[in-house]
Amino acid sequence: MSALLALSLVGGAAAHRLDEYLQATLIGVTRDGIDVEIHLTPGVAMLPVLMAVIDQDRDGRISSGEERAYVGRVAREVELRVDGVLAPLSLIESNFPTLEAMREGLGTIGIKLRTARSGHKLRFENRHLPQVSAYLVNCLAAPSDGLVVRRQTRDEAQRSIELEYSFAAGAVPGPRAAWFALGPFWPAAMGMLLVARMAVLIYRAKHDKRASKSSRVESL
Amino acid sequence: MVKTTLLGPSKSSFLAAVLCCGLASAQSSLSVASKIVASANGFLSSLDEGQRSKVLFEFNDAAQRMRWSNLPTTMVPRAGLKMGDLSEPQRKAVMELLAATLSKRGYEKVLAIVEGDEALKVASGGRGSMFGRDLFYISILGKPSVKDPWMLQFGGHHLALNITIVGLDGILTPSLTAAQPAKYTVDGKTVRPLGAENDKAFALINALDEGQRKQAILNYKVADLVLGPGQDGKTIQPEGIKSSAMNASQQAMLLELVGEWAGIVNEQAAAARMAEIKANLSATWFAWSGPTTNGMPAYYRIQGPTVVIEYAPQPLGGDPTMHIHTIYRDPTNDYGKKSVGH
Repeated sequence: MSALLALSLVGGAAAHRLDEYLQATLIGVTRDGIDVEIHLTPGVAMLPVLMAVIDQDRDGRISSGEERAYVGRVAREVELRVDGVLAPLSLIESNFPTLEAMREGLGTIGIKLRTARSGHKLRFENRHLPQVSAYLVNCLAAPSDGLVVRRQTRDEAQRSIELEYSFAAGAVPGPRAAWFALGPFWPAAMGMLLVARMAVLIYRAKHDKRASKSSRVESL
Repeated sequence: MVKTTLLGPSKSSFLAAVLCCGLASAQSSLSVASKIVASANGFLSSLDEGQRSKVLFEFNDAAQRMRWSNLPTTMVPRAGLKMGDLSEPQRKAVMELLAATLSKRGYEKVLAIVEGDEALKVASGGRGSMFGRDLFYISILGKPSVKDPWMLQFGGHHLALNITIVGLDGILTPSLTAAQPAKYTVDGKTVRPLGAENDKAFALINALDEGQRKQAILNYKVADLVLGPGQDGKTIQPEGIKSSAMNASQQAMLLELVGEWAGIVNEQAAAARMAEIKANLSATWFAWSGPTTNGMPAYYRIQGPTVVIEYAPQPLGGDPTMHIHTIYRDPTNDYGKKSVGH
């Protein structure tokens, strides 16, 4: 069988990543905060570059201190803004693969960050090792939480993403989200709300007058 | 195409198993479910006690359920029985089980992927020990039954079939099909394991008008699968063009493309699955990243309420069109969670 196989084009192609650092980010938006999950997979040819960054004492190994320092660096080199304001990201967890797995281009470093801020517009940017990296960045769908993403834009390399979002079913959207939700009907909707509000105020005023008369009669 | 190629004269034991099991016999007068169970029991009865203990897992073994990857088995170890450790009759029984469980084209696709890995082994020379048809694994979770749920897993490098069987339902999600090389020849005939997935997608993107293409084509590069192995239970925000913005002919092309994954399981299960996807078609999205000329590397994603498909050429130091990864999921029913209630 082997002799019968003639490959059209295989060359030295490997089954795993070679000369780039894949940085894949998933962003989870909830009502009470934003999770940022980053998966970093160095290609075989990338490992020396990455080791120069991580292995600070140059002993060819990655100590737990060096892991922490590297995770800290990544966390500093990504930026999350919520409604235009810089949102501090706290480290939730991180994990490192074995050096052997990374040598094969198969190891993935996982980092999970979180901010308690939530709003209606976010911008995430990854500035970590841009010269050698390929990026993926996506927002997780959360229909059970009522998340509605109205617009998402990225740069060509997927280093950054901007999202406009709100929460349906019980969520209290801000003015901008409400504007997007109602589209061209928002002036009419606002008018109806004002009329309804005035009707309530008039009803209450009349009711209060009657109640006050009645309490006066009772006190006599 | 694959059938005529792979069923040609060969000394391969793997292909010999294909010859023996006979694709034509996959559909018989027996009900599909009974035939699958009979094939599974036939395989189990061919094993000794030690092998049976290796291949069988509890149906609720979550760790085993999720033990799959696109990576070589030497890098991400699989559990179960390795094809290379089986006798010839046992390998034949595995192939019979796969032929009973899958459709004809699904079975051929699987064979083409496995043979592609054998081709990669040959081409890789000294590093080839991590590839090849002997390094594919089979495992069974639960007891094969026409009534109670059970699961069949078959996979290795570039292949992960996770088939949850609940009565007449055969739920194929999540499953991974991939190919490297994506094009090779056997006996002078060209084999493209994922050729239809490529060609039908290019036909669809080119069937869209300019305005539709503008919606479908993302303005950014996609380097890999977003919801590949290890991303169970996650769904991303859909993008691209919604099927409701397509005409009937384009929608039919989209369904035809989805059928390349949904149609891997036997025809009975595939028909039910396609009906479900068709019912949700208006809420299904098609997104594209890359050039629109067939032969160039392009990523695409199909995403609807009950389906996620990604097709991602891999820029891993070679020609990306020769190394493809794909993933097939149902966010509502991966591992049969809706049908079984995991």
